[in-house]
Amino acid sequence: MSLNDKLKDLRKNGINEAKRAERLQELNDLRVNLLGKKGPITKALRGMKDVPAEERPEIGTLANNVKKDIQLAIEEKMSELNEQMIAKKLEEEKIDVTLPAQSRNIGTRHILKQTIEDIEEFFIGLGYRVDAGHEVEEDHYNFERLNIPKDHPARDMQDTFYLTDELLMRTQTSAQEGRDMESHDFSKGPLKVISPGVVYRRDDDDATHSHQFHQIEGLVVDKNVSMADLKGTLEALCRHVFGPNREIRFRPSYFPFTEPSVEVDVSCFNCNGQGCRICKYTGWIEVLGAGLSHPNVLEMSGIDSTVYSGIAFGLGPERFAMLKYGITDIRDFYLNDVRFLEQFKGVN
Amino acid sequence: MKISLSWLKEYIPVTHTVEEIANKVSLTGIESSPVKLGQGLDKLVVGHITSIKPHPDSDHLNVCMVDVGEDEDIQIVCGAPNVANGQYVIVARHGAHLPEGKRIKHGKIRGIESNGMICGLDEIGVPEKYVPEAFQNGIYLFPEAEKPGADALVLLGLTDEMVDLDITPNRADTLGMNGAAWEIGATYNEKPDIKSAELDESKVNGSVDITAEVDDEKLVPDFLLRELKNITVGESPLWMQRRLWNQNIQPVNNVIDSANYVMIEYGQPIQAYDLDKLQESNVVVRNAKSGEKFTLEDKEEKVLSHNDLIVASGSQILGLAGVAGGIDARVTADTKNILLESAVFDGASVRKSAQRHDLRGDASNRYEKGVDNGKVSEALVRAVQLVEQTGNVGSISKEIVGNKTEAKPTVIKGSISHINHLMGLELSSDEIMDIFDRLGFEAKQDGDNVTVTIPTRRYDMSIEADLVEEVIRIYGYENLKGTLPSGMETSGGYSPKREFGNKLRNTLLGQGLDEVINFALLSKAEVKDFNIKETDLTKLLHPMTEDHEYLRTSLVPGLINNVAYNQARNNNDIAIFEQARVFDRPKGEDRPNEVEYISGAVSGNIANDSWNTTSKEVDFYDVKGIVEELLSFTNAKAHFEYVATDQITNLHPGQSALITADGQRVGYIGKLHPSYQKEHNVNDAFVFELNVDELFDLNKRKVQSQAAPKYPSVSRDLAILVGKEVESGQIVNDIFNNGGKYLIDANIFDLYQGSHVKPGHKSLGYHLVFQNPNDTLTDETVEQAFDVIKESLVQKFNVEIR
Ligand SMILES: [Zn+2]
Repeated sequence: MSLNDKLKDLRKNGINEAKRAERLQELNDLRVNLLGKKGPITKALRGMKDVPAEERPEIGTLANNVKKDIQLAIEEKMSELNEQMIAKKLEEEKIDVTLPAQSRNIGTRHILKQTIEDIEEFFIGLGYRVDAGHEVEEDHYNFERLNIPKDHPARDMQDTFYLTDELLMRTQTSAQEGRDMESHDFSKGPLKVISPGVVYRRDDDDATHSHQFHQIEGLVVDKNVSMADLKGTLEALCRHVFGPNREIRFRPSYFPFTEPSVEVDVSCFNCNGQGCRICKYTGWIEVLGAGLSHPNVLEMSGIDSTVYSGIAFGLGPERFAMLKYGITDIRDFYLNDVRFLEQFKGVN
Repeated sequence: MKISLSWLKEYIPVTHTVEEIANKVSLTGIESSPVKLGQGLDKLVVGHITSIKPHPDSDHLNVCMVDVGEDEDIQIVCGAPNVANGQYVIVARHGAHLPEGKRIKHGKIRGIESNGMICGLDEIGVPEKYVPEAFQNGIYLFPEAEKPGADALVLLGLTDEMVDLDITPNRADTLGMNGAAWEIGATYNEKPDIKSAELDESKVNGSVDITAEVDDEKLVPDFLLRELKNITVGESPLWMQRRLWNQNIQPVNNVIDSANYVMIEYGQPIQAYDLDKLQESNVVVRNAKSGEKFTLEDKEEKVLSHNDLIVASGSQILGLAGVAGGIDARVTADTKNILLESAVFDGASVRKSAQRHDLRGDASNRYEKGVDNGKVSEALVRAVQLVEQTGNVGSISKEIVGNKTEAKPTVIKGSISHINHLMGLELSSDEIMDIFDRLGFEAKQDGDNVTVTIPTRRYDMSIEADLVEEVIRIYGYENLKGTLPSGMETSGGYSPKREFGNKLRNTLLGQGLDEVINFALLSKAEVKDFNIKETDLTKLLHPMTEDHEYLRTSLVPGLINNVAYNQARNNNDIAIFEQARVFDRPKGEDRPNEVEYISGAVSGNIANDSWNTTSKEVDFYDVKGIVEELLSFTNAKAHFEYVATDQITNLHPGQSALITADGQRVGYIGKLHPSYQKEHNVNDAFVFELNVDELFDLNKRKVQSQAAPKYPSVSRDLAILVGKEVESGQIVNDIFNNGGKYLIDANIFDLYQGSHVKPGHKSLGYHLVFQNPNDTLTDETVEQAFDVIKESLVQKFNVEIR
């Protein structure tokens, strides 16, 4: 057999063997056996000396091609086997994705904190400071500085837990107004502050009353604040909390520490003002009280009421959350049943 | 107060529905709601009894023939004790609807046909306590002849439509029809037509029997009396009675009714006394003597305080000033001569007396909030006029003055520009002046300045801000466009301490603890349970209940309540925390410090049985892990340690520790004591409590960045046998003290104390990690350090290296 034929034969056999292989190891062996230094191709090329000189380049080229062809056949088969193996492995590793997860729970922020912090962040965005104030407060700040002297009938509306004649559990976060006003340096710009926190009233606990609840007081004092600013601020707040299409309205009211005083209603988010059970068929829901700081309140803090004016508002996070989420019993906030708490995961 | 539209029409034109008026008044002045009487009632007519005979089969029923305005009289069986021939009565015809869904049908009563029902007032919607006493146990009788068949509801005022004003304390001016007419009139730009009361001068004579005196002129700025002689006392006319019962006032007789009617008209309470029953010829308003006794009209006796203001004649107490009349001098059917009183008493004094004796009523309500002292005298005249109109009056005395204070209208100065400025509007001075005029205020303009004279009825007005309110509410808040404050930019935000607290809360949320909020007021038992600092307790002066009597000194009792509440509802696996204030009162001080704490409780499983896991109950080390992660977020420049303690009463003495920062206590962690758990109905539970304020003060670590190490670390395992009493913390401390500068970690990976080790001993395994940030460590260096560690452990703790 000529060297030429021998090489062609080796190619044919090598390719066939590669195609027949079933395992990667066989292919590796084949490569070593056929293409290695001790392999048949190398051996065959030793017969080159018998080939006439002018044919040698041709044979050389052929030998290289044979090697390449066998190499290619082995590689093709290898990748085929690899693919088969992966497919098999994937099939074996298939799982039931409907089985329950290994839970990694994050806790739920209390819904009142979520409600309060949502409102805080809204006001922080408008440049308000957050100042929580004291829960044990002096009669002086809780009442007198808010234009509610000792015999004022408004004290009846807020039955108070006293600790001593002069110390009490604050009944309203407005108690912080006097402290904020007297400590503010107006040369550094306007006073803009909200005071969130716990307040206490001498009330029996029932579905709509709690002896402990929360309030957020807001206060801006500057040379140019007006009722229009109050309306715009509360409009923005109500849209932030209750939805972008909400309208608000003011109704005259009375608080000793604001003049004029207003109750603020928001258009019903449930029926869009058409009237429903939530808004008692009026289309409006009362959400907070507000007004212009009473000149006496400003003056008692050493602020010239002919130069400065203030807007003040107070709202109840419990009421906001009850409205927004349809909570019907205020006691639920303080019983802390985890099934109640966890339903509010991520609402704010 | 309910404003009847039919009454209001006497002052201003009423052209809107009661719903529209209530809505408009709510938006411009006073929160109001519409009231419509007689809704759903029908077929109630006037009947005239034309004959009556006893029911043959009953000893209390009568068979009446009643003219109801039709061709034939109808037969009705009636059981009322006061029924008689000739009476004009209320008849519910066949098919009539009465309150509460009651329906009248013809039928037979003990065999006798009855074609309707003769009604009492309470059966057609007047609450029983406002029904005149004579008709409380029977049918109602019209005081005069009415047209048979006429609509009885209309005659009785029971189809009235009313605007119910829910007034705020400053607007007591609308607690009278006159004031309400001004208010509603201003809303609709209508000036009310209010006629002033006038006396029949021919009956006024100069002589008086009585003198009046006031002890404290400050408490009684006005005290006016008039004597009326030779009067007749009887039933008031229907027009007066129906207006009274619609105001929730029971008609009594024409004198008392007239007094009450004036109160409704003017907002000025009027008191009437029987002149002949006075002990002495003078009337004094003075403070009661402590313990002095006073008998009310309903015979209830009150023991008075020296703070009670009384109207007295000698030692006889005629009334509790502004609150209630007494039995002694009350006007009865046979009264001949009366004394009418119109006065102003100090609101706070009246309020306290009314509260003290539980006698708050229509009169005290008005005094508390204030009455118009410009109309005291006129109201008295009006009362005289009404008594005269409703009965005979022989003579009228001149006004007897105990005290009289001149009513001075308030004058408020303001500026058009400042008023506009506060409203955020640009109204013209004409618009503003027009609003003052609508309200009946007299305003004078001088350039930008206005001087506004306020009528005495609006005693709530005193400053320019009050003018602002009047202008803007009448102008209409709905016309105000919202803006945002336009002042200098400010940078808002939380305080650093609040930011710190939020961060700590987030670490616990991240570890799966739910946030709770508990009450700060605890019971006496609860407040003592975890008062670790043994601070003085702070108690409320007047608690509502024993459950909420003391200010908390720890958040743990609240958390335990939450665990118990949940576990009672089969929520057994609980991980909760709270961040809030506790009240730490320094010895001898009244005011407690408010200290921010963060505390948690974990009970039940932290992992549950599932298809690929087995359950695991929480243990000390799980909770310690939660705390450690929290502490690692404090950014504290301090070394935290857990120091075993058996000193916390309600914690397990073998599973609790104080948490210290550089030796200072900042909190504690532990398992609840088994007996405490049992007492509080909770399963095994672990708690921790940390002082956020103290941790915040440690929040001082300055982080200087270091590149992550480039050279590999080397580790060695150390297995030792040591006495049981030695704490792992001691071993680890010693390892670090002797491990040299390249030791970076020492973790326990094994703990065994069973039958395979020497009695009284335990076997511990530690994984030590060495690293040189600047070079590759040689085995030799590591081996040297390892030897030093081992040697020290052998010497100090007598360990056996295994
Ligand atoms: Zn609605």
